[in-house]
Amino acid sequence: MNNWLLRAGSILLTSVVLLLWQLVTATGLVRPIFMPTPAATFVDLWRGLTQGDLLALTMSTMQRMIFGWLLASLGGVLLGALIGLSSRARYWLSPTLELLRPLPASTLLPVGIALFGLHPQMLLGIIAFGAIWPVLLPTIHGFSSIEPRLREVAKTLRIGPLAFALKFGLPNALPDIIAGMRLSLTACLIITVVGEMITAQQGLGSTIIMAARSFRSTDLYAGIVLLGVVGAANNALLGLLEIGLTPWRTART
Amino acid sequence: MSRTRIDPVLRALPAWLVPLAMLAVTEFAMRASGIESDGLARPSEVATALLGLIGNGEIVLRTAETIGAVTIGVAVGGTLGLLLGVWMGLSPTAARLASLTVELVRPIPPVAIIPLMMLIYGLGIKMEAAIIAFACFWPMLLLSRDAVLGVEPQLIEVSRMLGLPRRQQITKIALPAALPRIFAALRLTLGIALIVAVTTEIAANPIGIGYAIISAGLSLRPEVMYAFLFWLAILGWLLNTGLVAMHQHLFGAAYGEAPR
Amino acid sequence: MNQMTSRFAPSAAACAVPAIAFDKIRLDLGGKCVVDDLSFSVAPGEFACVVGPSGCGKTTLLRLVTGLLSPTRGTVHRLGAFVGGPSPDVAIVFQDYGRALLPWRTAAGNVALALEAMGTPRLERAARAAALLDKVGLAGHGDKYPAQMSGGMQQRVQIARCLAQEPRILLMDEPFGALDALTRQALQDEIAMLVRDSGATALFVTHDLDEAIYLGDRVFALQANPGRLAQVIDVALPRPRDQLGTREQPEFLRLRHVLFDHVQNTH
Ligand SMILES: Nc1ncnc2c1ncn2[C@@H]1O[C@H](COP(=O)(O)OP(=O)(O)OP(=O)(O)O)[C@@H](O)[C@H]1O
Ligand SMILES: [Mg+2]
Repeated sequence: MNNWLLRAGSILLTSVVLLLWQLVTATGLVRPIFMPTPAATFVDLWRGLTQGDLLALTMSTMQRMIFGWLLASLGGVLLGALIGLSSRARYWLSPTLELLRPLPASTLLPVGIALFGLHPQMLLGIIAFGAIWPVLLPTIHGFSSIEPRLREVAKTLRIGPLAFALKFGLPNALPDIIAGMRLSLTACLIITVVGEMITAQQGLGSTIIMAARSFRSTDLYAGIVLLGVVGAANNALLGLLEIGLTPWRTART
Repeated sequence: MSRTRIDPVLRALPAWLVPLAMLAVTEFAMRASGIESDGLARPSEVATALLGLIGNGEIVLRTAETIGAVTIGVAVGGTLGLLLGVWMGLSPTAARLASLTVELVRPIPPVAIIPLMMLIYGLGIKMEAAIIAFACFWPMLLLSRDAVLGVEPQLIEVSRMLGLPRRQQITKIALPAALPRIFAALRLTLGIALIVAVTTEIAANPIGIGYAIISAGLSLRPEVMYAFLFWLAILGWLLNTGLVAMHQHLFGAAYGEAPR
Repeated sequence: MNQMTSRFAPSAAACAVPAIAFDKIRLDLGGKCVVDDLSFSVAPGEFACVVGPSGCGKTTLLRLVTGLLSPTRGTVHRLGAFVGGPSPDVAIVFQDYGRALLPWRTAAGNVALALEAMGTPRLERAARAAALLDKVGLAGHGDKYPAQMSGGMQQRVQIARCLAQEPRILLMDEPFGALDALTRQALQDEIAMLVRDSGATALFVTHDLDEAIYLGDRVFALQANPGRLAQVIDVALPRPRDQLGTREQPEFLRLRHVLFDHVQNTH
């Protein structure tokens, strides 16, 4: 019952925040050019989704993000498995990886533009390449941190290298991989939006920056709300993936 | 005498030859093939450009702009997040009440705020600091909340057994116990702040290292672009290493190893 | 030297080929001599126990039998053949069951791992795994993850996984060391029965002198620094043994005395 009360309270608090937003904007305390009323924002959002091209723009942003993410995850896991399973590869490559790690993924955009120009494929490639790091490093860790006792179990059962990678390495790395894929998806969303802003390719990123440049603040807010929804959907998706793929970590007596 | 005694740093030394060798191969291959590209530069040209940037003070100026925005942003957003986070950690009721609002606003990617802050503040250090503040607020809030929640319940019980008043329970037991994890949160937040700063500069804001990178790229001076990139990698590495060392210095004796 | 005969009928002739034979083994690890001049042999179907102070090389001895380690000098023979590496004929139950099970596989999945390694057809695996779990008293627990099981249950899963290999040599490294007294006694009786039924040769390492006498046909007492054989005790207690009766027999008490005296002197 206390639980229920708290939940109701948390909904109430959100409503109060929305109400405050409505109050300060409707009374003209904040100029509508900086902050439209929530009502106007949601009406604009609804109209944009049903009649305008907001839905199509969201789809194109999400498509880029998801494609980039899948490429990054695939590449990161394969490469990470190879490096993680071989202590020699780990030894020789770790300083190089350590040097590249601190570079923000968005810095790849200028490099990509300078190298390849403004192609749509270039943007996708940069999203994938920039988002590979958050998957690669945890995957390496996951494949290299197999319990030594389990290595011995594998040896006494004479399990071959491929079966070892699949039956021991992959499940051992899976929690790390999922955590990495979560960060990677966030990185993908960020690089996608920034990439769209810079290259003016169709999507929510270019839409909101155009809206800001032409002072269409309701469109801007609608775009931000949509990006928030995409972010929340990402979190939910990864949560499901985690429960579905690593049942042994969530199952407890 | 035995191989296991050798310092790990020393043992990793040969592997540092790999990035050096890669640079050497790039240099050699580019010289041999005589390739000319708007997107590539020979490592020697990049080194020369870097020296030039140090010489004319541009690198200092750009770094100061970025670091300035990071400092303001972290100071504002980090402090707010810290205060609210600690409060939420101390009062689970407050945390539960705020949960829905937090869950609704937090998923907004910080870069989505760039156009909004442009609209409000125009371009410059203020809008960048505001975006950084937004980006830093959330991790600081959640991590410092978790830090306080993660304090050993036994410690709280001890303080209650001692009959400490609530205020002293917080200042003498809960906060000191949460301090290392709060510091770790600050480290993470600073890393995020640097990324967000550079990203904002690349996307829209004509100041700082990020702008230097993209404008060099667009004006077909790849050697300058790579010089700034290199400097940025060094800066990020220095920041993290410095903060880890500081963590060790501050908490090493009493709390043990710093989380990497 | 038909090995099948030795497995099911440990006749005098088959005993000429010991299941495990160490010949003047010396092993150096990290520049230190860990085991020196170690010679002994275990007959097929025998239940041999190994006791000795901590760090005397008991685990090392088992690892030499598995082939995970190779001796610096001397030769190890298994079932008459030179040991070159791990073999499906040899199974080992590790002491730290918490680390030896795959946390991402259920009890049945962990047992099935051995079946997969043996190339058992996919369709048979589930039934075989269930039967093996049944054998170690885990019927109905097949879909639990290790984290959902008690220590005794986890150790039973490990034993079932080893039995799945149908090993001719079963090695056990202080398998019950971390269990409570009651579980320990129950598992002692079960393992004695399972080993007897399978006809396998057992080499059982323990810290517990009573356990060694209770389970073993012979007890090897090791000495530390470097590890070598100090004494061999024949246990002439009748089988089947039982927790109360056997432990009260005068012969049991006498052997206990001998072993305790020995341990006191060598420490
Ligand atoms: N990889 C290694 N490198 C160097 N020395 C080792 C190594 N493994 C074991 N040793 C040494 O070998 C000796 C025997 O170790 P072992 O683990 O076989 O002892 P144990 O009899 O099983 O001890 P316990 O009863 O504590 O399990 C110990 O002194 C140990 O320090
Ligand atoms: Mg041992």
